[in-house]
Order: sequence, then structure tokens, then C-alpha cells
Amino acid sequence: MDINGLAIIQKYLPLIIPIILLELGLLIAALVDIIRREKTKGPKWVWIIVVVVFNLLGPIAYFIFGRDE
Amino acid sequence: MNFMTALNKEFLEQRRTRKFLIALVVLVLFGMTSPLMAKMIPQIMTLVPGGEAFAGLIPDPTINDAVAQYIKNVTQFGVLLALVFSMGAMAVEKDKGTAAMILSKPMPRGSFLLAKFASLALTFIIAVVIAGVAAYYYTYFLFGELNILNWLTLNGLIILYLLVYVAITLLYSTLTRTQYVAIGLSFGTLIVLGILGGLPGFGSNFPDALISDASMIMSGTPVTHWTGLWVSLGIIILSLGAAWLAFRKQEL
Repeated sequence: MDINGLAIIQKYLPLIIPIILLELGLLIAALVDIIRREKTKGPKWVWIIVVVVFNLLGPIAYFIFGRDE
Repeated sequence: MNFMTALNKEFLEQRRTRKFLIALVVLVLFGMTSPLMAKMIPQIMTLVPGGEAFAGLIPDPTINDAVAQYIKNVTQFGVLLALVFSMGAMAVEKDKGTAAMILSKPMPRGSFLLAKFASLALTFIIAVVIAGVAAYYYTYFLFGELNILNWLTLNGLIILYLLVYVAITLLYSTLTRTQYVAIGLSFGTLIVLGILGGLPGFGSNFPDALISDASMIMSGTPVTHWTGLWVSLGIIILSLGAAWLAFRKQEL
């Protein structure tokens, strides 16, 4: 079986794109929320790093623990 | 304030705090990735250095692998979200005094508590339904058609499983004033029920049986023993009842 990584990605690209868009949407929503919020629990720059670096878990952690209501 | 007004307020809160968004995105993501991973991982394995040797040994993924991945991912992450979302539902409101403020209006405490449960239930029902649709589409595209009735039953059992832990966490959140104590107790209960559910024979009487029932239904094996389902419904009712009894007598 002669398969390379690129061929696998290309084959399933139409199914991978919605997943990337969904993750990107959550990341952007979290970043917008951090920037627009007056203050967060903990420094804003730390949350920005967490949200950008930790894919999926970062935005979730921010929304649950980082928002200062 | 009646129950529907309280429910509207609570569900608005679910959206405002982004809990609804998180549940939706996380569960839909796992709905999409589970069948995709079931299909792709054996192919990716052959790309790992030395993996060619295993190419012939890895069986071709089947529709059952996709379903098993979906059940495992949605229940594991769903239950974590259920615990995290419910931990502060009562404890934080009591601690901050918002519960006292809301209940100063003519509103029964039972409606307040039930609205909390119903709004969380609504969040998980909508998220699992959309995740189920996404997973169905991906599985259909990658493996073939699933039996729709069985698929609906499977997702219904997953929702019930998640609601068991919403109700239990809501009870602990009512009994304590600290949300982290509530989630700690819930996590302990999750582990205990998981151990009990793993016991041979006896285990089919616990909520974890809902997950094995869901797998059995999808693999075409008829489920004859529904005790796990009734026990799960009983746990939900008992937890909410106990939370109501405790909340009735609490000073806010």
C-alpha cells in the first residue's frame, strides 16, 4: 500500500476543513472576548498565549475559568 | 416568576457564559473527528517509521470502529463538561447572593432548581443532537449507512448518561457552598460508579451500562436488560429530589 501523508490529507480534506473552521471559530471567539473584556481572571497576555497555543483546550479553559463576570 | 421564565433566564445564562457554545463546539468536533480518526489512524500508522511492517496486521476499519470512537469520545468529554458546567450552578449563586436576590421575588425554590437542571439538560440535548447529526454524516460518507433508529437510541442513551452526572453535580452544588468541593465529590462519584459499572454481571445495574447498551444496539445485539436505564432515571430523580429538600431548608 503506497500512501503518503499528503495524499491522506488531500483525500479527506473536505471532511477536515469543517473541523479546522470550527476550532478556528472557537479560538477567534475566545480572543475577541479577551480583548473586549475589561479584565480577566489572571493577566490577559497569559490567556492569549493559552488560547493560541493550546488548541481547543485553551479557549475552553478561558471561557470556563478566565472570564471575569 | 414561573418555571418557564426561570428556564429562559438560565438558558440565556448558558449562552452568555459561552457554556452552550463550548458544549456545542466540543461535542460536534468529536462527532466529526471520531469517524474520521477511525478511518485515518490505520492509514497514518503505516506512515510511522517502521509502520509498514504492521500494514498487513492492522485490520481495515469498520463502521463499528467509528461508532465506538464516537461513543467513547462524546461520553468522556461530555461527562467532564457536565461536571464543570454544573459545579457552580447552585454553589456560586448561593455564595454570591444572587440566589437570595432572585428568590426574593415570588418564585418557588423547586422551580429555581429545576430551571437550572432543565437549562443544562437543554444545552446537552442540543449539543448531542447536533453532534449526532455531524457524526452520522461523517460515518455515512466514510463507512456507509447507519440504522437511524438505533442511532437515535444511542444518542438518547448518551444524553441520559450525561444528565445523570448533571443531576449528581447539581445535588453536590446545592449541598456545598464551594464549586470545587462539588466537582470533587462528583468526580469521586463518577469513579465509584465507573468501578461498580465495571463489575461483571452486577455492573449492568449502573449508569455505565447505558454506554455498553448503546454499543450493543449499534452492533445489532438486542438489549434485554434495561436495569441501567431505570437506575439512571432513578438517580436523576433522587438527586434532584434530595437537592430540592436540602435547598428548601437552606438559609441564603
